[in-house]
Amino acid sequence: MQLRRQPLSAPRPGDTRPAAQRLAVPLLLLLALQGAAASGEPEDSGWLQDAEPSSRLLSQAARAALHFFNFRAASPSALQVLASVLDGRAWVNQKKEYKFDLVFTTEFYRAEEGEKRLGTCSAQVFFRNDKPRPAVNVTCTQLIKKERRQEEDYQLYKLMKQLKSPLNAVRIPDSHGYIAPSLRPIWNLAFLGSSYVMWQKTTPFLHYFMSQISSVKQWKTNDDAIDFDYTVLLHEFSTQEIIPCRIHLVWYPGKPLKVKYHCQERQTPEEGSGTEEGSAVALTELSNF
Amino acid sequence: MQSSPGGGVVRKRSPVSRWTLLVCSFILAAALGQMNFTGDQVLRILAKNEKQLSLLRDLEGLKPQKVDFWRGPARPSLPVDMRVPFSELKDIKAYLESHGLVLLDEEREAMAKSRRLERSTSSFSYSSYHTLEEIYTWIDNFVTEHSDIVSKLQIGHSFENRSILVLKFSTGGSRRPAIWIDSGIHSREWITHATGIWIARKVSMDRRGWDGVEVTCPALFQNRLWRKNKSSRPGTFCIGVDLNRNWKSGFGGNGSNNNPCSETYHGPSPQSEPEVAAVVDFIMSHGNVKALISIHSYSQMLMYPYGHSLEPVSNQEELYHLAKDAVQALYEVHGIEYIYGSISTTLYVASGITVDWAYDSGIKYSFSFELRDTGRYGFLLPATQIIPTAQETWMAIRTIMEHTLHHPY
Repeated sequence: MQLRRQPLSAPRPGDTRPAAQRLAVPLLLLLALQGAAASGEPEDSGWLQDAEPSSRLLSQAARAALHFFNFRAASPSALQVLASVLDGRAWVNQKKEYKFDLVFTTEFYRAEEGEKRLGTCSAQVFFRNDKPRPAVNVTCTQLIKKERRQEEDYQLYKLMKQLKSPLNAVRIPDSHGYIAPSLRPIWNLAFLGSSYVMWQKTTPFLHYFMSQISSVKQWKTNDDAIDFDYTVLLHEFSTQEIIPCRIHLVWYPGKPLKVKYHCQERQTPEEGSGTEEGSAVALTELSNF
Repeated sequence: MQSSPGGGVVRKRSPVSRWTLLVCSFILAAALGQMNFTGDQVLRILAKNEKQLSLLRDLEGLKPQKVDFWRGPARPSLPVDMRVPFSELKDIKAYLESHGLVLLDEEREAMAKSRRLERSTSSFSYSSYHTLEEIYTWIDNFVTEHSDIVSKLQIGHSFENRSILVLKFSTGGSRRPAIWIDSGIHSREWITHATGIWIARKVSMDRRGWDGVEVTCPALFQNRLWRKNKSSRPGTFCIGVDLNRNWKSGFGGNGSNNNPCSETYHGPSPQSEPEVAAVVDFIMSHGNVKALISIHSYSQMLMYPYGHSLEPVSNQEELYHLAKDAVQALYEVHGIEYIYGSISTTLYVASGITVDWAYDSGIKYSFSFELRDTGRYGFLLPATQIIPTAQETWMAIRTIMEHTLHHPY
């Protein structure tokens, strides 16, 4: 059995740390008041460090950071997913806001069997009550060189340009988990757009995975950019809800991603009242970073 | 001691009396099989070329929300499975016919007939996902082929009045200690049904001195991502109760929801759902179940009670070490990492769950699996991962079964 890095809190094969002492929600409070930490908070807001943050909480924060990273990188051929959290510290204040300092490993999202390259990221993640989305500061090691990434993005772009508007009714993946090779670039691009949405929606209590593209409304490539309008089904933990989100993105290799979205929230129980719409429309245009 | 019909294989008799392995087939109420309660049908269509594929895709655009591709139009010569509500059947068949698309209806009928006539599970593809009908056929064949040790029991009915089946592995005798395994309480967790079938097969081959019960629950759905059962009640148009929140232990607590539209709606009262009541009745009447394993997906976790509380159970230490061993055995098959611990500290707080009830009912070795993967495909796990998942899960389950066997209580 090869040596692998053990994540911080969760027992894994080989780990002998007893789990019994770990409490997920009531925090063991250290009275050493941490100052602003790396997130740049100058004032003392009563941050108390959680001495034993649960691996679930740390993973959630790491995923939020990674969603943000993927969105900012805007590169559908270089999407990364969380491998494991190596080190994590958590603080909470009286307002029940959370701060995290994390180091975690990542691997490529692309389903390349056998290619298990691991990258490393460090991130600070800040969940505030008054802001809908977590503030993220994240740096990752390069999994592939910039030139190669740009080249692969461009190849992907060329493939997408050739796709005729085909996709009117196909669910991706299908019920058997199958994605046709010709549809893979679409899946990757959809994941990129969804990363923005998942970053926006993640809280210390809710996190997301992309389940399926349930429909494609539009796939245009007349100008240079790819104009993609689709509905994606996000799986929400810990509520187990499936949230349909309509996403409209515009992508060109090397340029920041433009995206807006609208997610449908859960139905209310009264008969005939229809769906309650969660209006979370955001139009984002970023300058070059 | 009996020898197996294969000739000459002598089963080791354990010092403890032999076990009964109970496999429960949870037929969750629900929407679809080839033909279901409301008349929905799954049509199988063969598209000969890209043009025909494109026509199929157009169909969904023409009939929004009405057709549901189970096997999407991917490439020519691969059959396309499409669920169609009864009200649309006529229209859609006309559309298909007018465009020269071949319905594998007659072919399907013939295949179905031949399947019924088939007396063998050896042609069953374990590396694909199957329809309800196919699973039923497999169950019948399996029971026939292993009639010396396997029997099929019906323990109740789902909300939509479908049978809930249990596969009972037993070498004879009664009231022996038993191990209960169930899968598919949540319809969308397809990998669990597929794994359950595999495990049934492995148990029948691994004749060790235990008798086992394996449960595999054919899935019926409202849609591919449906989680709950299909019960309905006046006052709300939302359907379904989360069967893994409807058990008596910690019912209604955190991590369950009293909103009928919620995916974790616990139902009006503990065991209100016929599916849960049937299992409770069966296990309580049996009276001698010593281990219970409930299989779900996804997250790659092996967990023990409690879900409703952060407090450790009194057997925490032993369960922790057993989980650790089981996860190690799993890892050694394909290098897949699972995390382990109590449900509330590993996954999330959840109340009214199966394993909490089991533990509080005296079943010490109560475990819950969350199978592959960790989110990349989630519920839509590619069929290529079925057998590897089943193989590794079997090794973990075997570890738990052996421990149970050697630690009678």
